[in-house]
Amino acid sequence: MANSASGHGHVHHWETSVAPLLIVGGVLFLVVFGFIGWFSYNSAMLAIVSAGIGTPLLLAGIAKWTGEALTHKPLVEGLSPIALPIFIVSEVFIFLSLFAAYWTMRLSAGPDWPPAGTPTNMNLRLPIIMTVILVASSLTYHVAEVKLEHNDRGGFITWVLISVVLGAVFLACTVYEYSHLMHMKFSPSTNAYSSIFYSITGFHASHVLVGLGAFLTVMLAAVKGLTNQYLAFCVGLYWHFVDIVWFFVASQVYYW
Amino acid sequence: MSTASSGFKLSEWIFTTDHKRIGILYLIGSIAAFAVAGIMALLIRIEQMSPGATIVSDVYTGGEQYNVWLYFHGAAMILGFLIPGLTGFAANYLIPLMIGAKDVAFPRINALSVWLFWAGIVLALLTFVVPDKPDVMWTGYPPYSIKTGGNLALYVFTVHLIGFSSILASVNFLVTIIYMRAPGMGWMQLNMFIWGCFTALIIQLVFVPVLAAAVTLLLFDRYLGTHFYDPANGGDVLLYQNLFWFYSHPAVYVIFLPAMGIFYEIYATMAKNRIFNYKAAVYGMIGIVLVSGEVWVHHLYYSGMPDWIRIGQMVTTLLISVPVGLMTISLFGTLYRGAITFNIPMYYGVAALYLLLIGGLTGIPLAMTVMSVHLGETSFVHAHFHFIMGIFAAFSVFAAVDFWFPKISGRMLHEGRAKIGFWLNFIGVNVTFWPLFIIGVDGMPRRYWDYSQFPAYFGNYHKVATIGAFIVATGMIITISNWLLSAVSGAKASNNPWGSKSLEWTHTETPPGPGNFPQDVVLDGNWSPYNYSK
Ligand code: HEM
Ligand SMILES: [Cu+2]
Repeated sequence: MANSASGHGHVHHWETSVAPLLIVGGVLFLVVFGFIGWFSYNSAMLAIVSAGIGTPLLLAGIAKWTGEALTHKPLVEGLSPIALPIFIVSEVFIFLSLFAAYWTMRLSAGPDWPPAGTPTNMNLRLPIIMTVILVASSLTYHVAEVKLEHNDRGGFITWVLISVVLGAVFLACTVYEYSHLMHMKFSPSTNAYSSIFYSITGFHASHVLVGLGAFLTVMLAAVKGLTNQYLAFCVGLYWHFVDIVWFFVASQVYYW
Repeated sequence: MSTASSGFKLSEWIFTTDHKRIGILYLIGSIAAFAVAGIMALLIRIEQMSPGATIVSDVYTGGEQYNVWLYFHGAAMILGFLIPGLTGFAANYLIPLMIGAKDVAFPRINALSVWLFWAGIVLALLTFVVPDKPDVMWTGYPPYSIKTGGNLALYVFTVHLIGFSSILASVNFLVTIIYMRAPGMGWMQLNMFIWGCFTALIIQLVFVPVLAAAVTLLLFDRYLGTHFYDPANGGDVLLYQNLFWFYSHPAVYVIFLPAMGIFYEIYATMAKNRIFNYKAAVYGMIGIVLVSGEVWVHHLYYSGMPDWIRIGQMVTTLLISVPVGLMTISLFGTLYRGAITFNIPMYYGVAALYLLLIGGLTGIPLAMTVMSVHLGETSFVHAHFHFIMGIFAAFSVFAAVDFWFPKISGRMLHEGRAKIGFWLNFIGVNVTFWPLFIIGVDGMPRRYWDYSQFPAYFGNYHKVATIGAFIVATGMIITISNWLLSAVSGAKASNNPWGSKSLEWTHTETPPGPGNFPQDVVLDGNWSPYNYSK
């Protein structure tokens, strides 16, 4: 497995890991073949079978990967806190593209905005509550990090758990809001605004979901006694990023 | 070979996290993509031999068949061959070796990248299996891509998988180059290929996400009924074209920069010479990064926009000639007063200079709005980008394989067969694309399979072009089989057969084992990969 460096930091055998291939297999079946089965070929059967193959592959891959990442020493330590911000640059550009789509539509529509079909009584109080929840979760995770710095593993686990709960409440709000809106016949295909509304908030929510997965990962690892300051830092950075993006999402999509 | 475990073990390859093996996996995938895309090219060329239907079955479905070939050819050549051949194969194999590192910063992420790329290749190949073959070109323009019966999801997910693979690779290599250079290696001591990759990867990091977003919205429009590109419901078709070219113009530099990097390495080594005006060339590369995001509208000149935008973008597009010019002069100047060995990598190197010249000069009329409105969407554009992007970059991949062949395989390449392959490739390319320049000026549109409403003499030029394509095909069969033959039966190579000064030759075994360097690499301020005078 990917254990490096025997002796003077020299590697004498070919390094391997099964995790990457498992993850790619998982993504290919769960996401790609799942989607294509369901949407291109209208076959629930194909979609379910693909998801059935893909999900265990993906989970096994992630578990294997995390295990290796936490137990093996990399060639150069401490590079992930540098890599993650670089990755976030590319995330920023995806969000920017979505906002560009939104601004294009919004500006070319002029005064006819929001277009017909948009409910006049959108719930504008919920996003404020969601903002408060998300900001709170950033703070609670920060507390968790401080606990970790003081080698308080129990405290770390507790505060991550609190952050997880807050994140889950945020997602529950999204689900509640979506079902409410769908009920009012405001679906992704209703009009230009609904298209962008669901795409941007949905894409953001998918990031929240990934963030929750990351929280659970560091938490479970900590329960097993494995902690890694770099990993904990990266998870936090990602979460703060998701938090900051939300300000843009909320201010642009709901209140503009 | 140090104490590397010897012998071939399949599990050590498919589970590998070693950058050299990952590089080779990239090479295999990209050459496979190239081969299948090449077969599509032959089908396209055969179809164009006569004005009406040649091999497509009939006028009603002919367009769809033809579009499937064009789709696969374009998408696989760019996303499956050139980008992975350069920022996948060459970058993987060479970056850690050239900077004196044992591997990349994140070996597992590197393995994830290569398999994501392979998953993309598998999806692309499903084109030939599914009944509803994608037929959306490599551009996927709506509204056609949304209305066609072809499987848009395959196109979109191919882009997603390969795109995600590229983004991860960018992060990985940028961190590697910044933080894992051998002690003592300063920025102005880097190999030109490292600079080419470094600048290309920045572009990739920033622009690939935009393409990913553009095609995702396409997917939503098609399958979830959203209205992003649907003007009837407040959407905008041009939004797609803008997002697409916002990525796809810079994408040409993702290919161009590492390709130039490869030629710099070959020129310097074979001329036993310094890089002429090293710093100017580096600033040229950085200049390209800065301007790359400001010129995409030259692909949309005829899409309807205020003139001030057209003129602005014309100026920025022409400005690109400045950094490209700096780089070209520095490439050419590297030969000046050199002691040149004229072997097969140099054959490709010199041919590249010619391709760059023809491709670059024909870009200038295309950049000028007045000319482009006439030449745009004709086979003139087609010939332009094949010279400068298609063939130039493909030659860089072939040259890279030939040049680093002894290091990678441990054996020497058979020069005689390689040269036959080269001449067929080079002649074939010219025979294919010059006729397309000529009839392009006369108005032959791109992407038409049926051109019977155009002047009859177009047919003759098309026939010549088709012959050219078959010459290239022959050349490629020879080139690729020569790689395979030489890899098993070539003469054993020494550690540094070209007498290069670059780390991948001077400090490694042949082929390099796990961990790359028998001794840790430490350099001083005088070291340079081009230090041939001392
Ligand atoms: C001096 C530099 C260059 C100039 C001024 C230039 C200009 C242009 C212009 C204006 C077009 C659009 C033509 C039209 O559709 O009307 C074009 C197309 C194209 N160029 Fe260039 N170009 C240059 C260099 C390059 C380079 C370095 C590459 C690749 C490595 C490249 C690849 C392409 C491709 C792929 C297309 C066609 C894309 C498509 O429509 O599918 N160009 N070029
Ligand atoms: Cu362009």
